[in-house]
Amino acid sequence: MLPDQLRQHLQKVISEAEYPREKAIEVMYEIQKHFGYMSDAAMQEAARLLTMAPVELEELATFYDFIFREPVGKYVIQICDSAMCWLDGYESILEHLCARLNIRLGETTSDGLFTLLPACCIGYCDRSPAMLINRRVYGRLTAEKIDRILDRLRSLAESVQTDQATMS
Amino acid sequence: MPRLTIDDIEIEVPHGTKVIDAAERLGIMIPRFCYHRGLGSVGACRMCAVKFLQGPFKGLQMSCMIDAQDGMVISTTDAEALDFRRHVIEWLMLNHPHDCPVCDEGGHCLLQDMTVSGGHGMRRFSGEKRTYRDQYLGELVQHEMNRCIHCYRCVRFYREFAGYRDLGALQIAQKVYFGRLADGPLESPFAGNLVDLCPTGVYTDKPARFRARRWDLERGPSLCIHCSLGCNTVAGARYREVLRQEARLNEEVNGYFICDLGRYGFAYAGHPERPRSPRIGSQAVGWQEAVAVACDRLARLGPRSIACLSSARASVETLGTLKYLSKRVGSDHFVCFYDAAVKFKMGEIVSKLDGRTAVSLRDIEKADLLIGVGADPINAAPMLALAMRQAQRAGAKVVMMDPRPLFLPCDFEHLSVSPELFDVCLSALVKSTFDRERVGKHGEAAVTLYDRMLSCDPLDASVQARLEPLIAVVEGCRRPIIICGSDIAPASSVSFAADVALLMGEVKDQSGVFYVLPGANAYGAALFDAANGSSFESVVQEIEDGAIKALIVAESDPFRYVADRDRLQRALNKLELLLVLDYLPSETVRKAHIFLPTRAIFETRSSFINQEGRLQVAEKIHSPGTPIWQVSNKGHPPRLYGTGICGGEPRAAWRVLQQIAHTLVHSQNEISENDPWPVIGGECAVLARHHQHNGPLHGLRIIPQTSTAAFFDGDLDLQPKQPMDGHLTLLPVVSTFATEELASYSEIIQRVIGSPCAYLHSDDAERCGLLDCDRIRIAVDDGFLEIDLTVSDKMARGFLILPRHSRFEWQKLHCFAQGLPVEKIGNCTP
Repeated sequence: MLPDQLRQHLQKVISEAEYPREKAIEVMYEIQKHFGYMSDAAMQEAARLLTMAPVELEELATFYDFIFREPVGKYVIQICDSAMCWLDGYESILEHLCARLNIRLGETTSDGLFTLLPACCIGYCDRSPAMLINRRVYGRLTAEKIDRILDRLRSLAESVQTDQATMS
Repeated sequence: MPRLTIDDIEIEVPHGTKVIDAAERLGIMIPRFCYHRGLGSVGACRMCAVKFLQGPFKGLQMSCMIDAQDGMVISTTDAEALDFRRHVIEWLMLNHPHDCPVCDEGGHCLLQDMTVSGGHGMRRFSGEKRTYRDQYLGELVQHEMNRCIHCYRCVRFYREFAGYRDLGALQIAQKVYFGRLADGPLESPFAGNLVDLCPTGVYTDKPARFRARRWDLERGPSLCIHCSLGCNTVAGARYREVLRQEARLNEEVNGYFICDLGRYGFAYAGHPERPRSPRIGSQAVGWQEAVAVACDRLARLGPRSIACLSSARASVETLGTLKYLSKRVGSDHFVCFYDAAVKFKMGEIVSKLDGRTAVSLRDIEKADLLIGVGADPINAAPMLALAMRQAQRAGAKVVMMDPRPLFLPCDFEHLSVSPELFDVCLSALVKSTFDRERVGKHGEAAVTLYDRMLSCDPLDASVQARLEPLIAVVEGCRRPIIICGSDIAPASSVSFAADVALLMGEVKDQSGVFYVLPGANAYGAALFDAANGSSFESVVQEIEDGAIKALIVAESDPFRYVADRDRLQRALNKLELLLVLDYLPSETVRKAHIFLPTRAIFETRSSFINQEGRLQVAEKIHSPGTPIWQVSNKGHPPRLYGTGICGGEPRAAWRVLQQIAHTLVHSQNEISENDPWPVIGGECAVLARHHQHNGPLHGLRIIPQTSTAAFFDGDLDLQPKQPMDGHLTLLPVVSTFATEELASYSEIIQRVIGSPCAYLHSDDAERCGLLDCDRIRIAVDDGFLEIDLTVSDKMARGFLILPRHSRFEWQKLHCFAQGLPVEKIGNCTP
């Protein structure tokens, strides 16, 4: 299922390791970068490349916050779900995000634009409450700040869409 | 040895003992979940916290993580420790459902015990509980993840200890999920141990589900008799049938675990068609009449016209009394093995196992080199594979010589050579370890054998290349053990393995030979059968000649094992009397002229001798009788009045045989009718010492310290025959669940066995134009045999490997004993 170029790249990465399993996370990231998420077929393929049992790879995939086993939206919002943020307004931030996006934690908006997920502490405790969007960090969140971010991302996505429409 | 004080009591324990175990020796059970002696410590559950008052550690510590040391003073009842543990149990219980009344673990649940003993009586948590979706894990183990307290015992056993890779710990934090990637049967034949290991009801015994609480069961120490290892079990019966079996700790044999064949194979004893009444012809009769008629008919025959047949699954009691009977009626024939070659090998094995050469399963775990000679542990003796894995985890090297495409749950070096090359390979592997001077200590014969070893022909270049680096390993090892099979291994190799083990003992710290035998009591059968020239082949011959007119068969089914069934059928038809005693609904039982029902292992105290010569006892668990569900049509038991239990007629075989013997031949001082051991002792000198044998908890090794047998007397097979051109050698082999006799009557096991499958080397397959997963058809005398094919390059060339699967008539292939012409194999892939 993998494109030849990607497969060869992964095989090279794996061959450089002393034990193939050292590269498990890296391999999953690369595949995820290509497909957007780790499908069951992708997991099987990755396990084969790494000579790991599929359940061994699944243990890692389900442990880490940044490997997605289901399709996600264009923007993955990961709200920091740890002690400092809890003290600093995590709950109201989450409530606001859910209300604005009209989804619950773990869901994707119907337009496929946003997915809302929790993350383990992202180390931004001095600027809590914090969140990541596609791995970019946003701190000292307020309802207004979130609105601004979401609006900007929405219009960005729309402009990309219009561009694509005009191009075709 | 460190001395420490626990709860004001002093104790001295061996070095390396954990504090939690030291306390247990004093009878103080420190609460625990993740700690299990078989698996070791991880310190994950925090339940075993105790207060260290004096010594190198201070304060609250996990007692499973700290080795006992001199001068430690520990309190398990300190207020701080009690409070800590009370909180631990409370948060472990947060998500645990309140389903004890419908949970199969209820009544023997560690979590229940710990909750109560931890002082957590009232639940304060009123939030929502975490829930999971359960998985289908096959027919043997039931999954119920909501009950999980995340102790990790299951994954530690399954992956680290047992070496299988299809169960994992998924997710993170409070969502941690123990399961497979997707629904499906657990692949490990040791999966049943999860039932014993799980401290609560996440994994429960599926066939016994909703059948009984622990306290409803008649429980007692029993044995697994599905292979020759003699693993110890606890059997639990209710309503006249065994419902479940658990592993019973035996430090020398199985340790804490058993395999699934041993755990779930028991259902033969409650088989719905099990014959339970004495019978003459097809007519059910009373015991008195049946025995009287049998005796009468036997008495009319001449002394030399009676033959006795038993098997390696019969107990020592059955074998001993049958031998006694055979002698009393003047029979020349007492046979326990169907195959003369197996009988010969068994004789060799019994004579060569002694204090110097025999090793236990525990010794295997401690070995640093394991050399397999024609042994397939996973299929022939699964717990052996588990012991080998423990050795390998501790650094041992495993080398297996076998033509089969072996699988082991550990890394190993596989020399896929034909059985004829075992002697050459073993010689090549070990000869440089010995020198003439040392070998000379064992006498002339040893030197002659050593010279033969030195003279053996060089091997095939590819095998030699694989052997070369292993020779250094053999030279460098300190505790080598040879694991030797007894089915496909030729007699010369069986004998040679013991010789090598004895010589190794001279140059190594510890050495030995571990045989895998063809039956739970094969060792016992060989003891009684040894000094006897008769074979089953000669019995059949004499029946055909008309010399033998009566055959007494005790707990044996020749139809299952004998290849030429038509000939056997014709021979049995000639008999004047076929007297059969058994507890299985076998073909031989159906053909009996007189049938006498006997008791299965769970219904009478019986003894078995395992493959290292360890005499072990299984206690009576319950009285015989038709299981209530079978007579009640799943409703209320029938309201019939009568004396005795419905289907309760079976008697211990030894009682019946002794009665027949005493009816036929009266003598002045009859031996006690309630104890079979005087008779057994009279028939077997080795067992005579065990008259008063009351079954020590861990069995008793009956092997001599130094065998008087002639070691080094076998002739090595150093010139292997060339196979016939265009022929494949047939190799009928064992397969874990599918080939064992008792398990083939066990409904639970029948649910889990796969379809039979033949193996062929990829080169041979190419030659025959066959592909992996093809269905092949072999032309036999009266039609065709069909079987699925697996093509492998991890096996020897020139063989077609076939399982003695209960759903595959492998016996029909006996006409190809000299080789199967490849043109007889057709492809019938749809």
